[in-house]
Amino acid sequence: MKMSRPLPRWARQVRVVLVKELVDSFRDKRALSSILLSILVGPLITGFMMNRIADRQKEADEVRVPIVGARNAPALVQWLSQQSGVVVATGPTDPEQAVRDQSEYIVLVVPPGYADDFRSSRPANIKVVADSARSDTRAQVERVQRLLQQYNAEIGALRLIGRGVSPAAATPLKIQGVEVSTTQQRAAKLLSVIPLMVLLAAFTGAMQLATDATAGERERGSLEALLVNPVPRGALALGKVTASALAGMLAVMVTAGLCTALLRFIPLQELGMRFRFGTPHMVGLMAAALPMCLLTASVQSCVATLAKSFKEAQTYMGILILAPMLVGVMGTLYPIDHQPWMYGVPLLGQYILLTSVLGGYAPGPLAFAAAAATCVACAVLMLRATVALLNDERIVFGR
Amino acid sequence: MIAAIDLKKYFGPVAAVNGVTFTAYDGQVTGLLGPNGAGKTTTLRMLYGVMRPDAGTIEVDHVDATKHPRDAQARLGVLPDVAGLYPRLTAREQVRYYGELHGIDGGALEERTNELLKTLDLMHLAERRSAGYSHGERTKVAIARALVHEPQNIILDEPTNGLDVMSTRAVRAIIKRLKAEGKCVLFSSHVMQEVSALCDSIVVIAGGKVVAHGTPDELRAKAGYDSLEDAFVALAGSGEPR
Repeated sequence: MKMSRPLPRWARQVRVVLVKELVDSFRDKRALSSILLSILVGPLITGFMMNRIADRQKEADEVRVPIVGARNAPALVQWLSQQSGVVVATGPTDPEQAVRDQSEYIVLVVPPGYADDFRSSRPANIKVVADSARSDTRAQVERVQRLLQQYNAEIGALRLIGRGVSPAAATPLKIQGVEVSTTQQRAAKLLSVIPLMVLLAAFTGAMQLATDATAGERERGSLEALLVNPVPRGALALGKVTASALAGMLAVMVTAGLCTALLRFIPLQELGMRFRFGTPHMVGLMAAALPMCLLTASVQSCVATLAKSFKEAQTYMGILILAPMLVGVMGTLYPIDHQPWMYGVPLLGQYILLTSVLGGYAPGPLAFAAAAATCVACAVLMLRATVALLNDERIVFGR
Repeated sequence: MIAAIDLKKYFGPVAAVNGVTFTAYDGQVTGLLGPNGAGKTTTLRMLYGVMRPDAGTIEVDHVDATKHPRDAQARLGVLPDVAGLYPRLTAREQVRYYGELHGIDGGALEERTNELLKTLDLMHLAERRSAGYSHGERTKVAIARALVHEPQNIILDEPTNGLDVMSTRAVRAIIKRLKAEGKCVLFSSHVMQEVSALCDSIVVIAGGKVVAHGTPDELRAKAGYDSLEDAFVALAGSGEPR
């Protein structure tokens, strides 16, 4: 049987400080909302990007074309309905109002004079009612307009042939667009945004607690009284840093969980991407990201202890958060050539590990260990720096 | 018992405390009296271990506080110059937090917390967060948390500063009770009536030095004035803040 040995005195004091800081910040609406925000931002952005990809897909799928006055142009209606993925429907009585209140994204209006004009080879009037301010249906509107231009060209060609003229004479240019962005690439970009969101969550999740427990403690005037207790400064700092690290870890876990859960809703296989995500992958993500939370929390605590006020601490937090953003942006702009030494660079190592795990090719345990070890080592250094600051009378009693 | 022996503290070229020596005994109330800027708070901060003296020794119950600061702090209950509470914690939680930091827990802590909240008339605030407390209520809670580990020595830095009459009386009652329990109470003040009413021994400091030391009667005799206030002004020089 295992006997639980009583913790040493300093360890119990660390636990007391840790529990107090967690309870305190759990009641802090500002801290809660910052954690909540940091948890939700990642999944929201992932969801948004997913939506964009789905939109692009919709373009290739069905478009519904409501037509007012279909009787006036039976040939056009028949041609449209023969095109793949086009469904012709009866238009609303007030087309403009219908588009304005977004009950339809487009309405074709064929006026009564269409048939006469068409028969006598005069340009026949046809109205396309659409709202160009709506970006979500732009792809579909463009598709309908392209269909009409295609019909226009086909009929024009037929008329020229009927008059003994080659249709090629009326098309001096043959414009060919080459689309280089593929749906796969867009999906890959979506996957690369998740590591960035996880890195950011580690910062934003711990930020409020780290500031409140250090700069806030001093600004409220409770620091001097706290330091009168027979507690080593190291135990105080460790308790506070651990509390904010836990907040960061919570944000990281929820962000990673929600983002990957959202991915299940994208038909990545159909986009030609193999994406399998199971428990081993989640374990990989956590093994990569959680040790980093110790570092982010200790850096934030140290910087916030140095700050003269809560406000100043918050300014520094805003600057600190640029670090993961820089790594993420660099990672998206330049495909990083994975070098072994990169695993040992805090943030960069985590970014590479997260990207690798999501890409389905996890590096060996040594890479995870190296990345975790440098984070913990840096965290210890930052903790020592914080203790040194707490021992500095100029810091404790203001300058 | 708290002993300060030739304490010195410099802030840059300025000597805030320049050789302060006195002893505060058990079962007595010792008053640290001096004008603003005389070095009272700096002296006390060195005594309760948040500032290191540049020279001199401190003994708390014969423990050398400069060598074993945590041991000395364990024997001290302190109301510091700035005694902020945690706005999102209740009175009970503030007291409990300090008790746990001192290593008290379980039933003993609950019992001690309840006892303190009752004697300091804070039961109505026990479960209320401190964000809306009055100044007097905050001071009393800060005193309660300072006493949670039943320290033998109590240091109070201007405990009645800014308090209304009722709260001032409550704080004086606490000081008298602590003295009756045989504790060593050291408090600073610049309020003459308070010092003469409460103190067994008075240490007058001015310009970072002890200018007089004795019972209220001794001080009056020494300065040649009947009123302690006049005696104080005479002893502390001009009495004007530097």
